[in-house]
This record gives sequence, structure tokens and C-alpha cells, in this order.
Amino acid sequence: MWSVIVLLTGPVIAGLLSLVIRRARVLHGVNFLTMLALAVAETALTRQVLAEGSVTTLGAFVYVDALSDFILVIITAIGLSCSLYMWSYMDDQVARGVIAPKRLGLFFFLFHMFLFAMVAATMANSLGVQWVALEGTTLATTFLIAFFRKRESLEAGWKYLILCSVGIALALFGVVLTYYSSVRVLGDASSALNMTALIGVANQLDPNVLKLAFIFILVGYGTKVGLVPMHTWLPDAYSEAPAPIAAMLAGVLETVAVYTVLRSKALVDQALPPEFSGNLLLTFGLLSFIVASLFILIQHNYKRLFAYSSIEHMGLAMIGFGVGGLVGTFGGLFHLLNHALAKALAFFVAGNIHRRFDTLEIDGVRGLARAQPITAVAILVAGCALVGLPPFSPFVSELLVVSAVAAQDFASDTMQVGRFVTMTISDEMRSLGIITVFLFFGVVLFGGFMYRIGAMVWGTPPAGIAQGEPWTVGHVPLMVMIVALLGLGFVLPEPIRTLLTRAVNVILVR
Amino acid sequence: MPVSTHLGSQLVDLCSVLLLLCCFAIVAQRRLSACVDLFALQSAFLAATAALVAFLTGHRHIYFAAALTVVIKVIVLPRILRKVIERLNVSRELGMNVNIPAGLLICGALVIVAFFITQPIIPLGYLLTRDSLAIALAIILIGFFTMIARQKAITQMVGFLVMENGVFLGATAAAYGMPLIVELGVFFDVLVAGLIVGIYTHRLQDAFDSVDTSTLTVLKE
Repeated sequence: MWSVIVLLTGPVIAGLLSLVIRRARVLHGVNFLTMLALAVAETALTRQVLAEGSVTTLGAFVYVDALSDFILVIITAIGLSCSLYMWSYMDDQVARGVIAPKRLGLFFFLFHMFLFAMVAATMANSLGVQWVALEGTTLATTFLIAFFRKRESLEAGWKYLILCSVGIALALFGVVLTYYSSVRVLGDASSALNMTALIGVANQLDPNVLKLAFIFILVGYGTKVGLVPMHTWLPDAYSEAPAPIAAMLAGVLETVAVYTVLRSKALVDQALPPEFSGNLLLTFGLLSFIVASLFILIQHNYKRLFAYSSIEHMGLAMIGFGVGGLVGTFGGLFHLLNHALAKALAFFVAGNIHRRFDTLEIDGVRGLARAQPITAVAILVAGCALVGLPPFSPFVSELLVVSAVAAQDFASDTMQVGRFVTMTISDEMRSLGIITVFLFFGVVLFGGFMYRIGAMVWGTPPAGIAQGEPWTVGHVPLMVMIVALLGLGFVLPEPIRTLLTRAVNVILVR
Repeated sequence: MPVSTHLGSQLVDLCSVLLLLCCFAIVAQRRLSACVDLFALQSAFLAATAALVAFLTGHRHIYFAAALTVVIKVIVLPRILRKVIERLNVSRELGMNVNIPAGLLICGALVIVAFFITQPIIPLGYLLTRDSLAIALAIILIGFFTMIARQKAITQMVGFLVMENGVFLGATAAAYGMPLIVELGVFFDVLVAGLIVGIYTHRLQDAFDSVDTSTLTVLKE
């Protein structure tokens, strides 16, 4: 109970305080302490969820089960490391004159509103409130993306605002349709959009309406996830946003958007055969994976490189959820955590490089190993993790997803081509086809990604670039994330494993 | 209930069709201020539809939503948008991605698509508001199309608001309105989105000397 209240009110209070505090040091202190409080509250909440299964409180407005708790763990963990990173990043930007000191308060206000909206979207019991909160994240972040007020960042912010608003308006129609099907069963009650109420009667809902609803919701929230072909805002926004914001967008906001899709999937799978939502997710996932890996080949801007890698990883997680079953869903969820860690690390690193080299072009960055040794190690770890090399944890989750695809049992399909030719596609054939495509583009991606990163790390730094890297508080999250990525590659701690297994059961409704 | 269900459903249909008509008028209109006025008119029809449904069904909370529609979508948002237009000194949309006759034809096709998509789920609906669901989807699609076809930041915002109107009509028609808390949240989001667009156009004007989104081409592959 208290933990839920802390998680919801903490960011709001901190946001309002940020508007009145003038001194930078106090602002950072408030920010860090808030994130610490959220992390403590989240630990307590996890304990409660593990003990009781799920928590429903505040007049059934808040519903936290293993799935939403797992997402909250990601939000608070990345948020906490972000607050440490921002300490050195924002101070540096103020010192360099990129942003005026008095705008720092506004930055933290928007940051905390963003955080609040994400926590609310994850905790909301009602699908409608979830929608409102997710639209809230769009509104809070659009000015964060455009915070440097350059022409490019304004353009990125505008595209983000318009595309995501449109996407999410479509999702709202999906929510309306879900409500349309549920008031038939539950009556005209205000609880007819609550997940706790819906999941119990899901098999009585009209399948045709739910089909349409899921398509609208997938396209709508898929825009926020950044699935191809609704992804065009994403590289612009990630490359123009300040580094800690890009880390939050890529690591956390995408995860929350995936969560909202999963909620609808769990519901729809009760009324329809799971192949319906599964095939949709699989198609969008594969498409995102393929397109993103091709775009990675032609990137010359390292932040855009990481942005396309996000699209690719979300595609991968979607393939996992699309195949479904225990292994696929587990792999997909675990991959969300690993991607959040690796991608936040990558964008922190990008922020460090940008401040030293003053360019986003990969060609302009040489000799990172000499100029910024700690950052060089971190970018190598992030790069290896993002292409799925062992011993880092994304390797484990990607392996799970691939093996789930290999082991899936699609029904054999018989296709009538023309009048005389009948084609039978067996399930082995289809699995083999998907895996071949998947691995091929995985190799493409590996080459493109590691080539770019290698080019940045080795060589001689350009003239006029300072060498050596003094230790700052902003380096702490880098170290923590490297350790986490390595550690999760070897052992999965017991609480996280239990949480993940329970979350899988929530999605599969077992 | 004093009014017979048959007459009631005819009236609701009439109001929904008027909303759809406003969509077509927006697509056919080049003057920005007229687009905003048409949006305000459409919202007024939406409020009327909602009030009518509230009256015919006796669901009190829909009156509340109708009142909010009048305040936010008929009065506040159009006023914000008009202020933006005045300040920016742009009155007409010159370049369009799709010209007006072609746009109208596409919108006609979108209406057919909307009726086609909703065909299987219409029979489930309440007798009173059955056909409005298809019209709502048509309005959403046309709003979507407007955002693609137009280049000025203002008309893109109008397109978004039209989509929102469509969703709202859908909610009223399909389920006699969403739960109150959700409706409040949606209104809040729409209002904030309007304010943000107002600030944004100002900044775009400063940075690009234009609110034409076709000038936003710095970022590309």
C-alpha cells in the first residue's frame, strides 16, 4: 500500500519541487533521493507481489501483478542509474553553455512528469487510464526531446508528437472497442475496462470485436514501441534527445509500450486462438528486425545506430511473444530487461562521446580507447551485448527466443495456388524459414554494428581532443550496468527468475 | 421514454452524419481559420449527439461529457488555434500533398472502407446508435488522412482533433460513453496536446521562419 503511494506521488512531488528550486546541486539531490525512494518502494512492492501474487489497491485503480511489477523494476532501475548519470551530464551541459542554468528546473519537472506517466501506465488497472497515462508520456517527453532547442531537435520533437499522438488515437479506438465488447458482458459499469474484471470474462467477449480492437491497439501502441513501419519518428527522436532522455526513451518507454500490448494480448488470447495475436506480433517483429538490420548498415550517426538497434531488439522481443509458449514468452520478457540495460548503457556512452568529440558522426570519432578509456570499455560491452555475443545477458534471451521459434508447433497449412497446384507448408518448413531469415539478418546486423563501433574505439584521436577521462559520478551507472549485463549472462537471481516465471503465467493466463 | 426508439435512432444517425459532413468540409477547405471553425462546428454536433444519447438513454454521465466537449473542443481549443493563426500570419494552405478533388474522392472511399470493416460487429450494438460506430470509424480515418495530406502544423493538429472526435463518437455510440475517469483523462490529454502544439508552432516559426512541416527535412537517412 505505502509502496504504491510512494511510487505514484514521489515523481509528482519531486517534479513540483524542481520548479521552485534554483540551485543545481539541490535539484540533483532531490532527483537522486526521489529515485532512491522509488527503488526502495519498488523492492518492497516486489516482495509483496512475490508473497501475495498480486496487489489491488486504491479502490481498484491500481493493479500490480508479476508482469507489471517486472516492468516497474525496469523503470526504477534505469531511472535510478539515469539520475546519477544526469548529475554529471546536465552540469556539464550547463557549464558548456548549451542550456541556461535556470532551465534545469524545467528539465527535471518534465523528467519527473514523464516518470510519473510511465509508472501510472504500468500500475493502472483500467485499460482507459493506461491509455491516458501513455498519451501523457508523449506529451511530457516532446519538450524533453526538443530541449536543446536546435532546429534538428525541434523537428524531431514535432515528428514525435504528431506520429505518436496519431498512433495513440488509433489505440484509443481499440480501447473503445474493447469496452464495446465488455459492457455486453459486465454491464454498464465503470469497472468494465479493468483488467481484473476483463480477464475473468474474457472468453465470453465477442471475438470479432476483440479482433478489430487488437489490431487497432497493436498499430497504436506499436507506434510507441517503434515497430516497422510506424518507426520513422524513433531515430530522429533518439538522436536529438539529450543522452539521459534517449536512454529513458529507449530503455524504459519502449518497455512500457510493449507491456500495454502484452496486456491486450493476454486478453485477446482468451477469446481467440493464440495464433491470431501471435502471427500478428510475429509478422511485425520479423519485419522490424529485418528493416532495422538493413538500416544499421547505412548509418553514419552513432545515436541513430543505437536507435535502429532498439527497433531491431523490440522486433526480437515481439518474435518471442508472437511464438508464445513458455520459452518464447520468458525469452521475450527477459530480453526486455537485457535490452533496457544494454541500451541505457549505449546512450550514456553516446552522451559521453558527444560531449568530448562534439559530433554525432561516426567518422568524426576516432581513438576512443585513448581519449576516453572507461567510455571505450563501456561502448565495447554495450556493442557486444547488443549484437548478442556471449557472455552478456542479451545472448541468453536471444537464444531463448530462437529456440522457441525452432520448437514451435505451427499447424501445417495447405495453400491452393491456382487451380491445380496445392502447396503444403509443414511446420518444420515454416520454423526453418523464419530461423534462416532471422539468423541471416542477425549476421548482417553483427557485421554492420561491430564495424562501426570498432572504427570509433581504435585509431588515433583527432587533433584537439583532450585525452584521459577523470572519474565522475556519471561513471558509476556505466560500471553497474556492465556488471549487471555480465552477471545476468551467467546467473539469474532467484527473485528475478520467480518474478519472470510468474509474469509469463500472467501473459499466458495459467 | 417519450421519444420512440425509432425516431431516436434516426436523430442520432442524423447528428452523426452531420459530423461526417464537417469532415468532408474540412478536407475541402484551404483557409486555416475556416478549418478551425469547421472543427468547432463538428465538436458542437458531437456535443449535441452526446446530449441526445444521454437524453434518450437516461445515462447522466454523458451529459457531463457533452458539457466538457462544449467547453474544451468548441470554445477553448479553437480559440487557442485561432490565436496561433493570427500570430503566425498564415491564412491559406498553398501546397498540399493531395489536391482537394482527389482528397474528397479518397475520403469517400474511406467511408466505404469504414462501413466494410465494421460490418461484422455492428449487429452487436445497441439499436439506438448502431450505425454511428461505422461513421465514427470513417471520421477517424478521414482525420488520419487529413494529417497526411496537409503540411501546415495547424491543419495537422485539426486532423488529430478530428480523429479524437471520431473516437469520442465511437465511445458514445458503441458503449454509451467510457467510464467517467477515462473521459476526464482523455479531455485533459487533448487539452494539453492543444497547448503544446500552440507553443510548438511558435518555436517552429522562430527556427524555420515557417510552420510548413515540409520544411522539416534536416533529419533523414
